Order: sequence, then structure tokens, then C-alpha cells
Amino acid sequence: MSRTPADVLRGVRRGRPRALPPLPRLPLWRVRLVAMLAVLGPGLVSGFADNDAGGITTYSLAGAQWGYTLLWVILATQIVLFFTQEVGARLGLATGKGLIGLIRERWGVRWATFAALTMLAANLGCIVAEFAGIASALGLFGVPPVISAGVAAIVVIGLIALGNYSRIQYLFVGVGIFVSVAYVISAAIAGFDTSAAFQNLIVPHLQASPLYWLSVVGTVGTTITPWGQAFIQAYVADKGLKPDDLTASRVDVFFGALLTNLIAGFIVVACAATLWAHGETTITSAGDAAAALKPLAGDAASVLFAVGLLGASFLGLGVVPMTSAYTTCEAFGWETGVNWKWREAPAFYGLLAFFIAFAALFVMIPGLPLITVMFSAQVLNAILLPFILVFVMLLAGDRKLLGPLASGRVLLTIGWASTVLLVLLSVILVVTGLGIG
Amino acid sequence: MLFLSQAIGRPVLDGNGEAIGTVADLIVAVGNRYPPVTGLVVATDRRQIFLPWSSVASFDHAGARLSTTNIDIAKFQRRPDEIELRADLMDKQIVDIDGRKVVRVNDLRLDEIEGMLHLVAVDVGAAGLLRRLGLERAFRTIARNAHVQVSERYIDWEDVDPVESSIASVKLRVPHQGLAELHPSDLASIIDQLTPRDRAGVLASLDDEAAADVFEEMEPETQVDLIEDLDPARAADILEEMSPDDAADLVADLDQETRDEILAQMARSEAEEVQQLLGYPEHSAGGIMTTELIALEEHLTAAQAIDRLRELEPDAETIYYVYVTDREDHLVGVLSLRDLIVAQPVTPIRDVMIREPIRVGVLTDQAEVADVVAHYNLLAVPVVDDDNRLVGIVTVDDAIDTVISSGWKRRLPRVFSQR
Repeated sequence: MSRTPADVLRGVRRGRPRALPPLPRLPLWRVRLVAMLAVLGPGLVSGFADNDAGGITTYSLAGAQWGYTLLWVILATQIVLFFTQEVGARLGLATGKGLIGLIRERWGVRWATFAALTMLAANLGCIVAEFAGIASALGLFGVPPVISAGVAAIVVIGLIALGNYSRIQYLFVGVGIFVSVAYVISAAIAGFDTSAAFQNLIVPHLQASPLYWLSVVGTVGTTITPWGQAFIQAYVADKGLKPDDLTASRVDVFFGALLTNLIAGFIVVACAATLWAHGETTITSAGDAAAALKPLAGDAASVLFAVGLLGASFLGLGVVPMTSAYTTCEAFGWETGVNWKWREAPAFYGLLAFFIAFAALFVMIPGLPLITVMFSAQVLNAILLPFILVFVMLLAGDRKLLGPLASGRVLLTIGWASTVLLVLLSVILVVTGLGIG
Repeated sequence: MLFLSQAIGRPVLDGNGEAIGTVADLIVAVGNRYPPVTGLVVATDRRQIFLPWSSVASFDHAGARLSTTNIDIAKFQRRPDEIELRADLMDKQIVDIDGRKVVRVNDLRLDEIEGMLHLVAVDVGAAGLLRRLGLERAFRTIARNAHVQVSERYIDWEDVDPVESSIASVKLRVPHQGLAELHPSDLASIIDQLTPRDRAGVLASLDDEAAADVFEEMEPETQVDLIEDLDPARAADILEEMSPDDAADLVADLDQETRDEILAQMARSEAEEVQQLLGYPEHSAGGIMTTELIALEEHLTAAQAIDRLRELEPDAETIYYVYVTDREDHLVGVLSLRDLIVAQPVTPIRDVMIREPIRVGVLTDQAEVADVVAHYNLLAVPVVDDDNRLVGIVTVDDAIDTVISSGWKRRLPRVFSQR
């Protein structure tokens, strides 16, 4: 017969435990708040990271080139973003697994490899865009891309190696909020056309111009992304959230989508009110884009813009490479995570190193049009997104896999409608693109 | 040697050589060391049909050939100890018990043993992955010319634990038997890599004592996640088996509601101990001490003391020091196990003990406790209250934990969240 430690103790000590001191009690509201904050996060972080270097650039381009006319895209994107992120969160909550892992379990290695390669291509584009963001931000101060990209690569590797990224993430989110507020104020000072803005927000003004559709696709592509789907699911799973956290996760995802697009909307409005209203419709450098902040910051506009772009780029770099490596390695059964030693997780670290090295070197190409690179990456994302979304929606309706968390008829209809819409958008782009060519 | 992926999709011919469909899956009966194949699933134009292995005349890379022409599908019933290789195992996560980690199944290796086809190993190497992608031959050619090896890694079926709850619940030998034999620390690291559903399955298969050992090795956040998912009665049982200081640390991390629920289910004495430990500030000696200790009264002789130890069967962690108290629990001395053994049997322990041992107060800061332990090279230091009554000990491992923050310890994979 084995004895419990307590038996041992009872056999030895004669004295009974003395009167117990009272337990420290947390007030109930505080407990709730803490529980809520622990859940809040994935959607918000994901939303904020959507407004990365590519995001800020794309929204600036949209506002400068098309004025208020693309605001409806922002609203529509927000709605679609909410529904796609919500599905991603549900997949994570119900299964605790990553996206590509689920694809593999359902459809086997070939489809998983296809999804992984699609995801990696899109993400590589995003990471290049982040480095381009850093290069153009520091370019405002005369730092050549060779130096800025090199230093940024070292900083990012350092942050990942030390495992500090998730803590410092909030600093970048803070910078994001700060710069977003700057855009709101700047738009207000510049005195934007309220009625035009609201009208364009609700009523789509479609144009036949291929360039118009290119902007639409870029705007959608920077907000709804393959990595965003993988990220929300991985984060929810990694955080150990459970089906019980569904409501909180939905709230989180909703506010994430709302905030993302609110900021996007104000960047568009600020650029419309400053650049487009004065006939400056082309942005070819970060300096041009920074002019949107002049009403607020005056000559310091470029500093403010640079800080914002830098923060946004680093936020993106904290999320996108890690997400790519995580989902891929999970699907193939390779060790995943920064707590393994380098030798134990060669695939994980190898992928991270490849992403960062490739992107940094790419940006170092002399005479690269950084703004165009950032924008093109978003278009690439938009074109690849439907492939990933089809998998996501097929999984979302799988009752055997998700149980009560599977999409009902309404959510499934919305999900597929969004997917079809995005497919159409890519098709329109390719068709009109051929027209341009 | 045959890999499952090589057979899937190959034609199935009946006794007359007529094609009736393609190979969709194989069924094996688990329970043996190497599960024998007992059935074949054939995909026909309209549906999947099950065939008992006895009606299969030959089976290889080329496909299957049946011995009969008339197929009676009504007779075949999938028995409870059978699993479908492709549907249940392929591409799923498994635990490699020998390598102590979670991996994915790339392919399944079948071998003929005594005339019967058996599942013998799980392919988790690059070769299996390439084979599934249809690239194995091309890669092997390249690799041969480049004089590099294509990594082949197989895990013997005996060293596999299919953690997926859906498969594990099929009467597998004893579910998770292999896992239970792992060191608690390895098992804790594996559990951390599993999804919540599978974690619950693994925990359910462990007895309370084993589960308690595993809990003690886990990161606090995983502990909390798991405890919250357990039935309070089961959680209480596990906490009772944990050492009181670890149990108290865990309970302290729970929210009030769960905490009350679990403490109410625990045996009174254990619950009281945990509550008592909870009452001390987190960073004080009281907060990190354990109440598991050996204390004997000073009037005992060495022989009586050894008898007493034998009778108590204390845990190994605490046996090296024997504390000596008077009738009112006041700490008066300490003995090492060595002192006790080399002493003459009739000598009262008060004559061989070290008087006025090094001690710390319950409210002493943990950093100071660590200093004391390090300075005097102690395995444990006794903790006394204001009246010099012995209330607990801080062992060297707990003392070190406070100085070397957990960030420096090797932590388990957790990529995004930092709680």
C-alpha cells in the first residue's frame, strides 16, 4: 500500500494545522476582465498586423489615386474579414490544430503541400513588402536599402531568437495606434468631404478602368490574407482557447476587423483630402505618401510617417514569417517553435531564415521601386487567397470535424459567397490585366 | 515490404480477373505487437465495400486479386478492435514513444510475417513524404548522383502511441500504455504538444499518481488549462497526489470559482494543507515550501528513529534530512540520514543531532532562502514560524527555481502566446 505525502505528514506531526489565513480574493469583475483580456488578442493582433507596411502603402495609394471612391471596398472588406477570421477562429477552437495540418488530415499530403506552397508564396510576398516598408521608411532619412534591410534582418532574427517578439508586439501595436490617430487628426484638419466620404462608403462607384480594379484587388488583398487565416487559427490553438471561448473570440475578431478597417478608412480619407484633392494622384515614394500627414505634423510629417511605417513593418515581421513556418511545420510533423534548439528544429528555423534572408536581399536590389513592390505583394496575396479560402470553407462546414462549431447554413452561405466574390475579383483582375498587357 | 500509399488506388480484380474497383483502405486488428491485416476496403463506382482478408488471394504494389467472384458484402462487420489504416492513421499525429515527440504519419509500412501481412512500422521520414508526393524516385535518382542520403525514418509500431482520441479509444492494447511508461517530464512535454482533445484522452488513461507526477513537470499555464477541463472530483484526486507545495502553486493560479470547487472535493486534510500554503505570500519561504518532511521527536533512539522512517515510507525527496522537534513541534535539531545510520542503535537522537540548525522564517524572502541554501550547501532548509515551530521545508530545487527564472529553463514550444 502506498502512502500519500499527507499520510507521512500526519504520522509525523502531531499538531493540527492552525487557523487558516483568509484567501486573497479578487473582485469578480476583475477576474472577468482578466479572462476576457486573455482571450482578446488573436483577432486584434491579426487585425493590426493587417495594417502592415503593405497595408499603409496600399491604402495611401487608393486614397491618392481614387479619392473617396474606394471607401466601399473598405466596408465590404471589413465584413468579409470578420466572417473569414471568425471561421479561422472556430477551426482553431474546435480542433486545436493549424490550418495546413487540418488540410493534410482531410485531403492528404498532396493538397497540404499545395496549400503550404500557396501560403508560402503569398507570405514571401508579404515579408518582402515589410522589408520594402522598412527600406522606404529609413530611405526618408537617406539610409540606403542595403543598410536598412540588413540591419532590419539582424534585428528581426534577434527578436525571434530571443523569443521576445510576442512581448514587443504590443509596442508595435502601440505605434500602430499612435500613427492611426495621427491619420484621423490629419484627415480632420485637412477638412475632408464628409458627404462624399459617407456616400462612397455605402454606394459602390464602379469603374471600368483596369487600374481601378487593380486598386480594389490590392486593397482587399492587403486586408484579407492567407497568412491572416493561418495566423488566427494558430494563435487560437496555441493559446489553448477552447470551444467555450467562442463568444469572446467572436467579439475579439469583430473588433479586430472593425479597428483594422476604421484605420484603413481614415488613411484613405486623409490621402483623399490632402493628396487627391490637390491633384497629386501618384505616389512613387514614401515621401509622397507622408504628405498626407502634413496637415497635422507639418514638416515633421515624414518623421511621423516613417515611424508608423517602421512599426507596421516590424509588426508584420513578427507575425508573418512565424505563422508561415508554424503552419507548414505542424502539417509535416516537424518540430515547431522558438523554444527548440536550432539543431532540433531545422525546418522551422530554416524556413524563418530563408524568408528573412530572401526578403532582405530582394529589397537590396538597386533601384527597386519599393512602393510598387509593396503594392504588388498585396495583389499577389489577393490572387492566391481564394485557393486557401476554399479549403477553409470546406473545413468550416465539416460537422464531423467541428461538431457544434461547424458553420450552419447561414454562415456557410456567407462564407462561400465571400469566397466566390474573391475568386471573381481575381478573375476580373487577371482578365483586365491581360487587357492592360 | 509494402507501403500503404503504394497500394492505395490500385485496381482490385475478382477471381476471374475482372476489375471491380480500387484499393481504398486496409483494416487491421490492433492488440497484437504487429497488427495483422484483416480486411480490405474497395472503392467501387458507387460505394465502398468491405471484404474480409480471407477472400484476398494476393496483394501487392500492383493491387489486389480476390479469390472469389461472388462478393457478399452483408456478412462483413467492422469489429471494435479494428482500425482503418488510411482513414484513421495516415497523416495523423502520433507520439513516437522512443523519440519522445509528436510526429505525423507520412506512410505506413506493411510486411509479410509468417504468411500474413502485418502493420509493422510508421514512416515519418522524408522518403515517405516524397513517396506520397510521387517524387520519391526522382529524388532518389538525384540523391544517388549527388551522393546524399534520402532520410528514412521508421517508428516500430510498438513504439507508437496514436494519441488522436478517436483512434486511441478503439480498444488499443491498453490505451496509452506506452506513454505511461515515459518519464513524467517527457510525458509532460508531449502533452504540451497535443491538442486539448487529445490531452484529455491521455490524462484520462493515467492513474491519479501518474497524472500527479506529470502535472508537477508541466508549465503553469498548461496545468491550469488541463485542470480546468477536468471534472472537479478527478482534479481533486490528482491534486491530492501532488506534493502540497506544487498543488498549492497550481491552485493559486486557478480562478476563484474553480479553486473553491476543487478544494471542496479534496480530502479535508490535503485541502487544509493546500489552503495553509496558499495563505503565505508567493515570494516568501512559506510560498515555496513544502509541508512534506520528516520530523521525529528528540527522545527517540537511533534504532527507533530508523524503524519509524521505515514505517512512514517517506518520499525520496525529503528523506536526507530528518528534523528533530520537541513535544510542541519546536525545531530543536537536524540529523542527516547518514548520522542516523552510523549512530549506535541505542543512542538517543538528541545526542547525535546538530543543534540549532540553519533555518528560515515563513516570511523570509525567497531570494534570501536561496542564498541560505546556496551558502550552507543544503539540500533543504527548514522553515519555522514566529514561535520556532517547524512548518515546512524548502528543498534545493524549489530554492533554485526562484533564482533562475523559468525563462531560462528549457520551455516547451509555444509560439505566439506569452501568458
